[in-house]
Amino acid sequence: MIEVVYALWRRDMIKFLRDRRQLVTSLSRSFIWLLAFGLGLRSSVRIPAGGADYVSFLVPGLAAMTVLFGSMFAAISIVWEREFGFLKELLVAPVPRGAIVAAKILAGSATALIETVVMLLLSPLVGARFNPLGALASLPLLVLFGMTVNALGIIVAARMKSFEGFGAVVNFVIQPVFFLSGALYPIAGLPRGLRAIVLVNPMTYVVDAVRGLCIGHHAFPLLLSTAVVVVSALILAALATRSFSRMEA
Amino acid sequence: MTAAIEVVDLKKSYDAVEAVRGIGFTVGSGEIFGFLGPNGAGKTTTIKILCTLLQATSGTARLAGLDVAASPNEVRRRIGVIFQDPALDDRLTAEENLMLHAVAYRVPRAERHARIDESLQFVDLFDRRKDLTRTFSGGMKRRLEIARGLVHRPDILFLDEPTTGLDPQTRARTWEVLRGLREKYGTTLFLTTHYMDEAENCDRIAIVDHGTIVALDTPAALKQRVGKDLVAARTADPAGLSRLLSEKYGLASTPADGGLTFLVEQGDAFIVKLLTTDRPPLEGISVRRPTLDDVFLSLTGRQIRAEGAEGTAAKIRAMVRRRAG
Repeated sequence: MIEVVYALWRRDMIKFLRDRRQLVTSLSRSFIWLLAFGLGLRSSVRIPAGGADYVSFLVPGLAAMTVLFGSMFAAISIVWEREFGFLKELLVAPVPRGAIVAAKILAGSATALIETVVMLLLSPLVGARFNPLGALASLPLLVLFGMTVNALGIIVAARMKSFEGFGAVVNFVIQPVFFLSGALYPIAGLPRGLRAIVLVNPMTYVVDAVRGLCIGHHAFPLLLSTAVVVVSALILAALATRSFSRMEA
Repeated sequence: MTAAIEVVDLKKSYDAVEAVRGIGFTVGSGEIFGFLGPNGAGKTTTIKILCTLLQATSGTARLAGLDVAASPNEVRRRIGVIFQDPALDDRLTAEENLMLHAVAYRVPRAERHARIDESLQFVDLFDRRKDLTRTFSGGMKRRLEIARGLVHRPDILFLDEPTTGLDPQTRARTWEVLRGLREKYGTTLFLTTHYMDEAENCDRIAIVDHGTIVALDTPAALKQRVGKDLVAARTADPAGLSRLLSEKYGLASTPADGGLTFLVEQGDAFIVKLLTTDRPPLEGISVRRPTLDDVFLSLTGRQIRAEGAEGTAAKIRAMVRRRAG
């Protein structure tokens, strides 16, 4: 069982490392935000508490964004594999469905982690300043968040009939989670309605915890944020296994 | 000896559509058994149920005595499946694809490399083992899938339209490999096809139409059922010959290019009779035994044609073929 999970995980890793386009796409996405948004707004945005500059404030949010996009796309690849064959080979193999889901989740979060680490390493080039040890300490949280997102992606993928629904996923899942998370702005002082939405989004807690560890600016206790991430990862992983098992080829 | 496959009154409906309406048959161990029928006849649905990919609406299917619905994992370990559309990971090498399969089917670690090498040699792809499968041609991909199906030594190998979209040489080569498989490992083969000449390779054929089996027998016996031979005559006066055939022998004929064709029992003897009769001048005459095409025609009143596609990939393939042709 563990060997099968490892073999399937390794397959996704090999493909990720062989095809660098995914990494380049992910990096360019982060750096467009850092350059256009971070540098563009740096002089006019003042972060109330802590006094961090906007580029450094943005980096933890973009680290979580990198995980969000990377891990979600990795999960949606199931739709592609179902439509063009390889998934069938897995489904007729004597492999528990849970093992396939576990491998997907572990690989999706691992590749997203690689993307995030490269982004964090390069971000000082555009003027980001953060505590490197804090960044290191936030990696486990980002991995957990990657698993959560990947599990959500599997649930979405199991319901998608074809790859044509991909645009809708970006529009109605990825973008709301990203924009309503505090990745781009502090959550203190948000209008009440918006704040309520932001507070039920697990990504908010990931961003807050990572920001706390990296630049010392956070709204919730680290323990609460960690608990939210762990619980949402567990719930979504269970739901992902269930929807994947029910999916017909 | 238990039958390799035993299917009783199998049914499958999708919403309002009945794709399979009560199919039953038995396949012996080591047999090559074919499902022949047009697209949409229920062939792929049946194979998917037997491979545990779909749940039947009712009826039972047993593989090597195991119920597919009750013990899918046991069944999965004993079967190999080669799908209509390639199910390879095309960003992995040939060897990596097979290794993943070996792990998934729990081939003992010590035997993996030997089995993979043997399988690759069997389908003549050993030299390409380090290449990404996306660089492979359609025929090579199909052969690699067959190699993959062998790695865990399945008792039963399912092949859904194994040679669709392949050129004639590759089809012939694929069949050499498949026959070799039965000789070497005693594997039972269950395949679906809409190619008549491919069906000829089977020990027995079930002719499937609209979700039911309309006939089940050996290819020779099925052809004998038609009972008549097809005679084609070339003549400058088809109308006159047609009149003679219907008035003197009570035979209906069909106009054809440069003459006409008709069905008659013992065609060779009939030709001799016809030649010694007062008749319109003939330029040529030939007689041939009925083909499975004629069998299907006589059973269903239609010809098997690759009309309508079963999936996106099939549509794409059809499109590619149209462009290539």
